[in-house]
Amino acid sequence: MRTPVQSAISKRWLLRTSRLALATAALLFAVSMTAWAAGKQGKDAAAKSSDEAGKTADGEMPPAKTDTVHVTIQTVPPRKAQVKWGKKNIGPIPAPRALVLERPRDSGPLDLTIHASGFLPVHTRAYTFTDSRVAVKLTPPAEKNTLFGYREEPAPPPNPDAGAPTTVPEPPRP
Amino acid sequence: MQAPAVAPEPAHTDNQAFVVHDGKESWVDAEAAARSGYTIIDFSDDWTPFIFAEQSGPDGIVMHNRYRRVFLGLANDTLDEDGEPLPAGEKNYLELYGIPPSFGVLRARFLANEQQTCHATINQEKLEEVETIAYVAPEKMKSEAERTARLHRELEDARKKNSAATLAELAQKETSFALKVKAYERRVAEKAAMAEVEKRLACEGVFKHGGKHATGVYDDAMRLAVRRFQQKNMIYEANYLRSKTMDALALPPLANDYQAFMRVLRERVVSAAGVVEDGSVESKAGAPTYTGKSGKPVALRNLVDELTKSAAEQLGLSTQEGALAFFKHHPAADFRRLRAAVKLPTLPEYYAPDMDLSIVIDRGDVWYDLPWDASGVRHPQPRKHYPSFHLYLKYNNQRILLARWRTTVGGWRAEQATDGYEYFRYKGSDVGPRVIRNIVAGPVWIAPESTPIRSLLKMKDVAGSWQRVVNYDELGPGYLSAYGLVAGYFVQPGKNGKADWDNGIRAHGSSDYLSIYSSEGYSHGCHRLPNHLAIRLYSFILHHRPMRILGDQGMGFARQFLASDDVFEIRLPSRGYSYQLEPPLPVEVLEGDIKGTLKTPVLTYVPKPGIKYPGPPPAVRNSDEGRAGAGAKTEGEE
Repeated sequence: MRTPVQSAISKRWLLRTSRLALATAALLFAVSMTAWAAGKQGKDAAAKSSDEAGKTADGEMPPAKTDTVHVTIQTVPPRKAQVKWGKKNIGPIPAPRALVLERPRDSGPLDLTIHASGFLPVHTRAYTFTDSRVAVKLTPPAEKNTLFGYREEPAPPPNPDAGAPTTVPEPPRP
Repeated sequence: MQAPAVAPEPAHTDNQAFVVHDGKESWVDAEAAARSGYTIIDFSDDWTPFIFAEQSGPDGIVMHNRYRRVFLGLANDTLDEDGEPLPAGEKNYLELYGIPPSFGVLRARFLANEQQTCHATINQEKLEEVETIAYVAPEKMKSEAERTARLHRELEDARKKNSAATLAELAQKETSFALKVKAYERRVAEKAAMAEVEKRLACEGVFKHGGKHATGVYDDAMRLAVRRFQQKNMIYEANYLRSKTMDALALPPLANDYQAFMRVLRERVVSAAGVVEDGSVESKAGAPTYTGKSGKPVALRNLVDELTKSAAEQLGLSTQEGALAFFKHHPAADFRRLRAAVKLPTLPEYYAPDMDLSIVIDRGDVWYDLPWDASGVRHPQPRKHYPSFHLYLKYNNQRILLARWRTTVGGWRAEQATDGYEYFRYKGSDVGPRVIRNIVAGPVWIAPESTPIRSLLKMKDVAGSWQRVVNYDELGPGYLSAYGLVAGYFVQPGKNGKADWDNGIRAHGSSDYLSIYSSEGYSHGCHRLPNHLAIRLYSFILHHRPMRILGDQGMGFARQFLASDDVFEIRLPSRGYSYQLEPPLPVEVLEGDIKGTLKTPVLTYVPKPGIKYPGPPPAVRNSDEGRAGAGAKTEGEE
């Protein structure tokens, strides 16, 4: 079955990984926020900060020889968010903590959607080849022009008949 | 050379391979057989081409290839292209795209088709009567039927007037009607054949569940069914009922299964023997020759066909009946680990572990002119001489052409500029000397920011919800990826300690047959080959050149983009599985013949006709991946 096991609800797992997760989250948060604060100057800068966030966030851990992998999902900046997999609610990201999913190793990727109040929804993908972290950069609607793909609509062409009445006046009666 | 010791049937282990003597299988130690000059052909369901095989590093540790599992899942009909479980009963049919079915899948196909009875209801004569069936768009069905009826009335009136017993007699008596009679008879025959095609496709089970098909209409359901049938039989005819498709439809299912069996066997034999010569260099005059050690001319052999035929004959598999008996004899479980030992014909004298290979790309006829005018009217840019890929061997002071295949060069493509609008840009193929240092299996294409957003998205069923997702099919790894299943990276070697210069050009596999074989097909600068040929090529090169396995190239790439107020995030955990050639393989790209007025390419963006832009075109992007690369498909491409 495709249903992922949501081990975020597993207290045992959280206890076991809390130290590592917190330390990683703090480091990622610091790196991402630095890029976040400095990278608002344009699309290229925004794209770069996103790339950098991905590069640091997705650094994979050495493969462990278990039947399952753990996918750690967090938001940047850290905001509570809902994670959906198709129609299914996977669960909340309890920011500043991460959501940790447990999946069978090599069971195919997960196409997830992250919904955070006040931000544009983000469609991302998590892999199950090995343990991994997904740091999802959130963008408020007002800043969508910082994202690649945003385009300004061309200004309407100047109207040569500006000021002229929209209907042809009737000729004066004789 | 002595034959290895023969063990009695039926017990066999993973270390054994079967041989066939006098029509009977027996088991031998595979390693001993190989030492005795046998070639071991892998019939197992966990076979992959060399580029996806489990490799070990110098320390003996296995270096996993991420795509191997997906390749095997696709070949065995257990996984989809994302590596997710395939719904029960679903089939992949990906041989056309470089992933042949496993023998386990073929076994099931043979046994099912032997039992099926629906084929008996199909009128073979009606199928054989036509060479092709002309496509009639669903919305034109009615007018086409009326036209045929009018033509029939006209011909009947003429027949009566001319006192002819049949329309054929009318055509003989009154030759002015001959063409009309022929056209009418053809239409009638096609209509009758179409009904048999529908029956046959239903019998094959290639109509998608839930797809609504109106009888006699070439609708979407029919188009998809034809495409699945074509894929199953490795036919590329763009969803139409052309000659190769009709030939396959006219054959009994088991006959088609046997052809598939031979194609699958061919890839296994090619892989085991490490050969590439497929007869593609032959001309009307026959095979080219080279001067052998003896000083006499020797004709270049088609080793792919010759060795496959030899293996099939030795194993009693050179007939459909032989293959069916083989599958009946071996239960499905045997294909978990099944190998055969055969004595293949001796390879040519030029074969060695380290062969002096090189690649030449001839760009053919090249146009730099804009293919349309200011009003958007397209101007034809005919090519007589198409781009071609040549694999050479230097041997005995001569250059021997081992293989020659059609390929692609760059041309005018759509590109997304920094203002968010699409423009045209000339994406040419570099000319001059290069080398291939890295060969990447399951390569990932990092879409440059100039990639049109529309090509970065696709619809997908995600856990029961039909939604937009990033189009990873295009990015890879996968058979649909812009780089196909394997790519060789062209670079200019760095000098004085500098890194190689990579202009984004690759020679890579592709599922985009249209771009390779169409008269108007172009790439974004890369040289595309059908996936199965690219796999053969690079497996051959890796077999016969010194190389180092670098393994999975993890990278953790992420990039976001906006589409309709949703943010989409590309996440690529790996560049693919890399092999490094030491020394690198020489490549020479020939300029070709420049046609038209412009003799050098346009280097700026050119606005698309009919599009309203906010201002003048911005400067072109120049990222590593964006300079050429594979790129997205343009409008009109499939």
